[in-house]
Amino acid sequence: DDKEEGKETTQQWEDDWDDDDVNDDFSLQLKKELESNSQKS
Amino acid sequence: IETARIFDFEEFPVRDKVTYMYYTGRLEVYNENFLAADQKLTYSLNHCDPRKEANIRMILKYLIPVKLSIGILPKSWLLDKYNLVEYNDVVQALRRGDLRLLRHALQEHEDRFLRAGVYLVLEKLELQVYQRLVKKIYIIQKQRDPSKAHQVKLDVIVKALKWLEIDMDVDEVECIVAILIYKNLVKGYFAHKSKVVVLSKQDPFPKLNGKPVNS
Repeated sequence: DDKEEGKETTQQWEDDWDDDDVNDDFSLQLKKELESNSQKS
Repeated sequence: IETARIFDFEEFPVRDKVTYMYYTGRLEVYNENFLAADQKLTYSLNHCDPRKEANIRMILKYLIPVKLSIGILPKSWLLDKYNLVEYNDVVQALRRGDLRLLRHALQEHEDRFLRAGVYLVLEKLELQVYQRLVKKIYIIQKQRDPSKAHQVKLDVIVKALKWLEIDMDVDEVECIVAILIYKNLVKGYFAHKSKVVVLSKQDPFPKLNGKPVNS
């Protein structure tokens, strides 16, 4: 029974999402922004 | 409450136990006992008749904010299936570290979140979003120059926030980072004069892993 509950839980929730990936659009734009700023200063 | 003690919880019919755990779980949400709320609402969700979609939706309306506050995200099919799409942007904001998106999502669905009584719970997610944003800045710096990556200039955070159309000066950002350190969302210390936060080389952004943010 416990095993089944655990299975349900992993299908519904994600606890390991805080990864180091910075290749999404948001991160790439952030990167561009920070780099352009560092050139100015 | 006194008389209830003489009954064994397990003796009651499942549907009554589910209802009981739903309401007591909601109370725990109001009292900001997120671990107890998680346990009760999860019980309610797992034992609820899967055909009663309206009931499952009611449980999730409270369980989702609770899970978010302990650093756990709902899978997107769950939001779609139970028509809880108002949480899509909140989840996206946490993933990205997008403070603007979080604020926008809270504003857009303010009525709904206020009526459910979860607005304040969601507002507190800001700290996790700040953590994520600083972490992204750190990773980007690390790609460029690993030797200096653990020093994050407060100016850089100010610039990132400005890009997100959030106006904050260095002092305000220092204050936010101080809260992040105090709450153990960031490990590090300030070089106050040089306006730099020096991150710990070991696990500078501790994960919540199912625990609430320190209060």
